[in-house]
Order: sequence, then C-alpha cells, then structure tokens
Amino acid sequence: MLSSNAEKIYWLSRYIERAENTARLVNVNFDLLLDIPHDSVSDFIHLVEITSDLEQFNSILLDEKMFYSSSVSAMKNVVLNFVIYNSDNLGSITYSLEMAKYNSRYLRTMLPKTAWEQFNKLHSEFSLSNEENHSTEVLHQIIRNSKTFFATISDAMHRDHVFDFIKLGRFIERADMLSRIIEDQILRKDTKIPKYYENLQWMSILKSVNGFESFKKINKGELRRSNVLDFMVKLKEFPRSIIFCINRLIAVTKYLPNSENLKLKLIQIKKQAAKLNEKSTDKQILAILDLLQLGLIDLHLEIEEKFFNRSPI
Amino acid sequence: MNKTFSYQSSIFFDEYIDSKSSPRKGYKRSIDFFHSLSPSERAYYTNLCESSISSMGVTFQLDANELQDRSWPLDLIPRIIASNQWKLIQKGLIQRVKALNYFINDVYNKQVFLEKNPVLKELILESSNFLPECMGITPKNKVWSNICGTDLIRDDKGKFFVLEDNLRVPSGVAYMLENRNIMKRVIPDLFNSYAVNPIDDYPSQLFKCLSEASFNTNANKKIVVLTPGVFNSAYFEHSYLAQQMGVELVEASDLYVSKTNNVLMKTINGPKKIDVIYRRIDDVFIDPKVWRKDSSLGIPGIYNAWKNKKIAIVNAPGSGVADDKAVYAFVPKMIKFFLKEEPIISQVKTYVCAFKKDLNYVTNNIEKLVLKPVNESGGYGILIGPQSSKSELKKYKSKILNNPRNFVAQPLIKLSTSPTLINKKIMPRHLDLRPFILSGKNSFVTQGGLTRVAMKKGSTIVNSSQGGGSKDTWIAD
Repeated sequence: MLSSNAEKIYWLSRYIERAENTARLVNVNFDLLLDIPHDSVSDFIHLVEITSDLEQFNSILLDEKMFYSSSVSAMKNVVLNFVIYNSDNLGSITYSLEMAKYNSRYLRTMLPKTAWEQFNKLHSEFSLSNEENHSTEVLHQIIRNSKTFFATISDAMHRDHVFDFIKLGRFIERADMLSRIIEDQILRKDTKIPKYYENLQWMSILKSVNGFESFKKINKGELRRSNVLDFMVKLKEFPRSIIFCINRLIAVTKYLPNSENLKLKLIQIKKQAAKLNEKSTDKQILAILDLLQLGLIDLHLEIEEKFFNRSPI
Repeated sequence: MNKTFSYQSSIFFDEYIDSKSSPRKGYKRSIDFFHSLSPSERAYYTNLCESSISSMGVTFQLDANELQDRSWPLDLIPRIIASNQWKLIQKGLIQRVKALNYFINDVYNKQVFLEKNPVLKELILESSNFLPECMGITPKNKVWSNICGTDLIRDDKGKFFVLEDNLRVPSGVAYMLENRNIMKRVIPDLFNSYAVNPIDDYPSQLFKCLSEASFNTNANKKIVVLTPGVFNSAYFEHSYLAQQMGVELVEASDLYVSKTNNVLMKTINGPKKIDVIYRRIDDVFIDPKVWRKDSSLGIPGIYNAWKNKKIAIVNAPGSGVADDKAVYAFVPKMIKFFLKEEPIISQVKTYVCAFKKDLNYVTNNIEKLVLKPVNESGGYGILIGPQSSKSELKKYKSKILNNPRNFVAQPLIKLSTSPTLINKKIMPRHLDLRPFILSGKNSFVTQGGLTRVAMKKGSTIVNSSQGGGSKDTWIAD
C-alpha cells in the first residue's frame, strides 16, 4: 500500500468519525437543554469548547456583550451555525466533511464502490442543508450515513491494509473524542447547575455515545458519576468506551508491518486508563485523561513516522 | 404505426431520421420510446439519470481553480451505430494508428519518411512536440502511442471522417464506461431491446496492453497510473481506470528512481519496484532533470530509467510529435508509405499553411474555412470562418501570415446531428465520437466510444470543458 494513500485513508476515517461524534454531541446537548433550566449560557459555550475554539467563536460575534445577554433561541442559532456550518472553524462538521471529501477524492481506487457511494451520499446530503433550513434531522442524517459508511466497510471490504488504516483512524479519533467529552463534563462541574441536573448531564453524555441502554443493563441502580466513568473508560464490551477503542487498535497492529512500537505505546495507554477507579478525585481523573490524550497524540506521531513518511528512502 | 414526429429533418445529416423525417432503420424503437414519454416521465428519467450520476460520483472539473466538481453531463437518448458499419471503422482505426506509430518510430530513428517530405521534416524538427532526447529509442513492439483517442465526425451525407488523433494522453474513456452503467440503471428496458455490444472489457484490455509495453521479464508486471493529482480535470478518470484495473494510482511524490535506474514506489512496507507507468501527464513534465525544470509533476531521473528499458512509460515520451495538426494532413501518405495500403477511413481535407500553395488558398478563402493552430487541443484557438465577422477574419489572417507554419485550415464540415433532450424537449444537436485504440502486441478498438454532443443550438463545440455533453454509444445489429 502506498504511504500517501495510507495517510489519506487514515484521515478520511478520522474526519468521518469526527463529524459523526460532533453531530452526536450537538444533538444530545440540545436535547438536554429541553430538560434543564434555561438560565445558563454555559451549556452553549460548553458545546463550543468541546468541539471548537472558544476564542475563535468569540471573535466571530459581532457584539460579544449582546450575544451573552441574548435570548436562548438566538444564542442557539449562533452556536449551532458555528459548530455545524462555519467552514473556518476547524472543529465544525462542515470542515470535517470537506476534509473527508478532499481525502476521499484520492481514494476511489481504495474503497469498495458501495462505500464510496455511501460517502458521497453522506457528503451531498449534508451539503444540501444550510444555516437557514437545518434541523436536528441533519444531525441524525450524518449519524445514520456515517454508521452506514462504516457498516458498508465492515460488510463489503476486503481485509487489507486499507481496512487497517480505516480502523486506526476511526478508533484513535473516537478515543480522543471520548476523553474530551469526559474531561469537559468534569471541568464544568463548577457551574451553578444543581446536583440533580448534573446527573441529567451524565445521562446525556451516555446518550451521546449511544450507551444509555447498555449502561442501564449493567448498572441497575442509580446513575452516578463513578459508574458512568467506569462504563465509558473501562468497559471493554462497549464499542464507545476508551478501552474498547484501544483494544481494537491493538488488534490492528497484528496486521501492520513494523508495528511493535505502536503496540507497546497502546499497552501503555491501556495501563493509564486502568488506573481510573471509584475513588479517583477530579484532579486524578483529569490527570489520567491528560496522559491519555498525550498518549494518543504520541500514537499518531508514531503512525506518521512509520507509515506516512514520504521522503525518499 | 405512422407517427408524426415533432422532430424534423434539416440540412444536416441526422442520425435518427432521414430527409423525410422518418426514423432510420434500427432507430425507431429508441425514438418511439422517447417520444412516447409524457413530460413528467421525461422529467422522471432525467432526474433518475442525474441522481445516478451524482451517487456514482461521476464528475469532472473545468480547471484547477474550480474546487467544486461538476456532475458529468449525459444525455439519455443513445447514439446507435450498426455493428457491420462499426467493424469497418475499427479496421480503419487500427490501420491509421499502426501507420502513426510507425511514423513516430521513424521520426526518432531513421527519418526515412521525413526525408521524402522535406516540408514536414522542417515542421517536425521545429515543433515543440518533437523531443530530441528520444532519438535512437525504440519502445517495446515499436509502439509509441499505446493508447490513442481518435475523433470521428459524420458529414451531411452521414459519411465518417477522422477529425483528429490524440496520441499523447487522450481522455474520456472512463466516461464512456460510466455512461453505459448509468444507461443500464436508468432505461434498462430500451437497452435490453437492442443487442448492444458490451464495452466493459476495456479495463482488462488496457491492463494487457500496459503489461505488454514492458521489457522486464517478470511474469506479473507491476503497473501504476501516474496522475498530476486530484485537481486535474481528468482526475476522476485516472482514479477510475486504476481501480478498474486493480493497480495503484500514484503521484510523482510516490515514486523515485534508484541509483541502479529502477523505479520504486513508496509503500507502508518500504520501496517496491514497478515495471510500467501509465502516465496521465504531458511529455515535458515527466522528468524535471531532462525537460521542464519547474515540473513538480514528474519524477527526476525517470528518463534514464526509461532509456535503459527498466521502466515502460505509456504513452512513450515524445509520442506527441504526431499529435500535431500539420502531421494529420500527412496520415494518408503514411498509410500508403508504411503499410502499402489505401486509407479505410477518410479524413478532412487539410491545408497546411507551411505550403505556399495552401497558404494562398487559405488566405483567399478564409471565410469558408475552419482555421486551427497546430499545437492546441480542447477546441481552443479555433476560428470558424463562416461564423466570424470581417474584422475577426482580418485579424486571424494577419496571425496566419505572421507565422504560417503554426496554422492549418479545413473546409467546414456540416456535422451530423442526433436528437437530444434539452429542457425536456427533443432537439437536434451536433455530435462527434471518440473511440479508443489500444496497441501492443495486437490492437484493440472499443465498441463505439465516447459520443460528445454540443448542447447549444447550432454549436459544434463538443468539449466538456466548454459546456458539451455526452451520449452512450450503442454498437448494435
């Protein structure tokens, strides 16, 4: 497999996964807003922080003061447009899908025809929506189309290196996004939302990763921060837990050449995640998540060096 | 059923109807089908066609500045050619390309034909398409242009003519293949009612042709398609062909030449040796060490690897020398000289302004002629005499007189028409046809080719870069 194609397929996969995760996050947050008191700006801003750059967001506001004192629905539109459609925002869905499209142009020779058509559908359906006519259906559409894309890959694709790099990109992205969602939730505890709502927030996070039903199955009792964390970080049976992602990545290394180092790094990350337990304080959790994220960045650099190196040998 | 057609004959040869506006033999089923559609059915089929094109991702780009791809324009009314007629054309095309390949090999070796045609010799040696670095080289099977796209037109009597040969990097074949797939999806019943010759073996024929171009003796040749990149207007085709052949699509940065003149590809497993490059970049961009120094599309050192027969480059560098419109005028002579045969397909009478006699005729009859610069393609720089104003003609005349060698002229051919769906109405539009000819150990010609159609009334500009459309071409009994 060409090094340059390995790089593109890896990024295609990451960007599609990122668009899907962002769509899930936006969707669940607006669902949540229907349930909690509407006096706080923090929930909007939190969405910007988790997906994008708050400074950039503030810089696009015509009048910062006015924005932060405007009505909920006015605020909602500005945030939605920024997170979904602003192509200058590197965290927006538009940006992710345009980058995916850019990489996909090179990959016609790599993907099964059905997967290629599915990606085109994902991109073109999203392109038809815009700031004026969007609704939460747009987000559902992205989630559906992205799932169908990856399902098509699993179902129709020859197990070769293309498949391996799709997995690498997808699970690194997912692990990264998961760690950021959890980190953000811990950080925003200091807002004035009452305890009761805090649990609602954890519930919404579970929903954003499609995990609410599975969580309920194994946690019969109340929903507590510690068992949600345990579920999202350490439950190896759940496809949107950090450990699940790491295990899938370890499995991929079996098929890749010169991947001993990569595997060692993954095992290192796994050890970090395992340190999390019921007694972990906020500070400890944040430190673990921080190391996890650094570990994922290091992983990416290792992949770049081993597989994407394009300078003459 | 004696149906009254709203679609009427005109001064042009129409491929569907005769001068009395009755459908020609073999066309009735197709024209009846489209006539019988109600406006809403026409809209339905058009939409189905457009959505198939978009979900299949069949696109093209106008130029590098346009990031947004355009959907490929396909007209649903097929062009139909009788298979016995096509057999003769196939023979004629093989004959023609064979002669052209002998000619290129002669240009870069003994120059026997050039010696006999001193004006041509002078034109060739001065041409920017002539690459002196190729002197003394003979590619495998003496074939320089393994893949040729020859444009055919029909005149007001329906007779086929060769309009030009594209011997460097002809494009369009992927659209030919995808047009067929779309038609099968959209109007399967009409398609099924004709016994249409299949075209989908082209990628495997191409693969075979490319394999045969290598001097290397290993059994399974490693082939790559070299593209200038994703922003090239024909990128869709490059990636499509690579996928259909099951070979890698590469850019120059994926390849390098080793000290031993092997051409290697960078992979996740380390370097891998390759045997054949199907290049989709122009000759002079292939090796920045030899030709265009500023080329980032090429691979430094690849000329030496090619010269030493370590790598086959298809089409061979230098093959563009026969792409010249002045060379075209000499093809009938070439056929007689190299093959001792009479040309099977006619070609358009061409006045080469480098000849004094021709120049005189051209300047005196400029208003009747189509004028073409010899080194342009894509329909650029062409002046159509009968459709131009006096001042335009005058300006062009002085351009010719300034540099006669740079121009050729041809009489205006009344291009044939075919019914075409324009805004849900059936209207006559002009068209041409580009079949593809593969040459290796043996020759192969596509069943039909890419039919290009001018979408504007009266226009004869069929290039997709200038708003032209396309049709599926059915070779049927």
